[in-house]
Amino acid sequence: MPPMITRTLAVIAVGAAITATAAAGHPEITRAGLERALAPTFANLYVQQSHLLGIPGITTATIGAGASCDRGGPAVADTGAGPNWICMMSWTDDHGRHQDGKFEVTVKTDATYVAGGPSKIVGLATITDTHGHDVPNPVFEFDGVIDAGS
Amino acid sequence: MIPTTTTARTPGLRAALRWEIVKLAAQARSRALLAAALILPVVVVAVVNGQEQPPSDTIYGRLVHLSGYAMPLLMLAFAAQWVLPLLAAVVAGDIFASEDQHGTWKTLLTRSVSRTHVFWAKTLTAIGYNLLVLAVFAASTIAAGLLIIGTQPLTGLSGQTIAPAHALWLIIAAWATAIAPTIGFTALALLLSIRTRNAALGIAAPVVLGFTMQLLGSVGGLDLTRKFLLTTPFESWHGMFDQHPFTGPLATGLAVSAGWTLTCLAAAYVSLRRRDITEG
Repeated sequence: MPPMITRTLAVIAVGAAITATAAAGHPEITRAGLERALAPTFANLYVQQSHLLGIPGITTATIGAGASCDRGGPAVADTGAGPNWICMMSWTDDHGRHQDGKFEVTVKTDATYVAGGPSKIVGLATITDTHGHDVPNPVFEFDGVIDAGS
Repeated sequence: MIPTTTTARTPGLRAALRWEIVKLAAQARSRALLAAALILPVVVVAVVNGQEQPPSDTIYGRLVHLSGYAMPLLMLAFAAQWVLPLLAAVVAGDIFASEDQHGTWKTLLTRSVSRTHVFWAKTLTAIGYNLLVLAVFAASTIAAGLLIIGTQPLTGLSGQTIAPAHALWLIIAAWATAIAPTIGFTALALLLSIRTRNAALGIAAPVVLGFTMQLLGSVGGLDLTRKFLLTTPFESWHGMFDQHPFTGPLATGLAVSAGWTLTCLAAAYVSLRRRDITEG
């Protein structure tokens, strides 16, 4: 076969494969998947923060975090990657009070995400630990992964 | 005594393989790449560690100052973008095309080796060399991270704390997941090296294709398409750092890498077998 025909066929085959898989695929990043990933991650990091601050008696069980996520308002389907995910997190804080905080979440196509917490509730980017050192606040902004297969 | 077919075939491949390794070892480029894989990670780790602001746009970048185990993961995520495809292509993209460039195909094939022997000798040499480069790169990165930053506990991707001993195994495993797609990119570079007969194209084209796949993989709504890309297996380590580790992307990544490797090698083999070499 002349190279021109081989190349044209290859380009058509690649184009067809992308079109076919794009049409046959379904979104693997879902609202439920993100909520399942985000809430325990926040709880674990909140425990880590309380250790840094020297607050005793905080465990993931006492925090009881739950997340409710939405992507881009009511007009957009709550699936897929994008920078416009908003998650409302509710949990019990270190004083036993109920808290609701809005997290801005950017989900990437590789099913990892970056979540930013509300600094009024979770604190600023840097906190002072029990030794008096300035350390990054673990719940201010954090990476996580969504198990898209479950 | 009349040698059997198998014993008669083995010396052909062995001799061809030995010569390919000798040729590769004599190349300044292959030695320079190996040295770069050893030294560059140390420099990068030292520079990143010295910076005030951590590189938080890449996964684990935010944690590099807090744990020496985060640095190799940041490097892995960064290197997967174009460094690993480039490392895979530097030797593999050149190994067949250099015979065209120097006009040495006829000289090579008039020796007592067949095209099949030459094909496998070059393929095995390229894959072996690339795995060596990957291993050196990974070991240097991990060692630099642990020695320069330290062995603090690592925060996992579910916010859980991972003890240093376990974290070390996890980051070694994470780097090991890059083996399959690296072999895939090696096979792609070998195919391009044979088809284009041009070393520069053989080296540059896999990197460009890797970039293109990365770009395609970052487009939303292509969840099934991105599973078939050769760059996606480079991300399959994420699941190992979950509180409840999941290996679905790992299994898919292995299958996809194997598919790319076999397809590229088969096409490369057929192309080399059918080529008219009498032209020189």
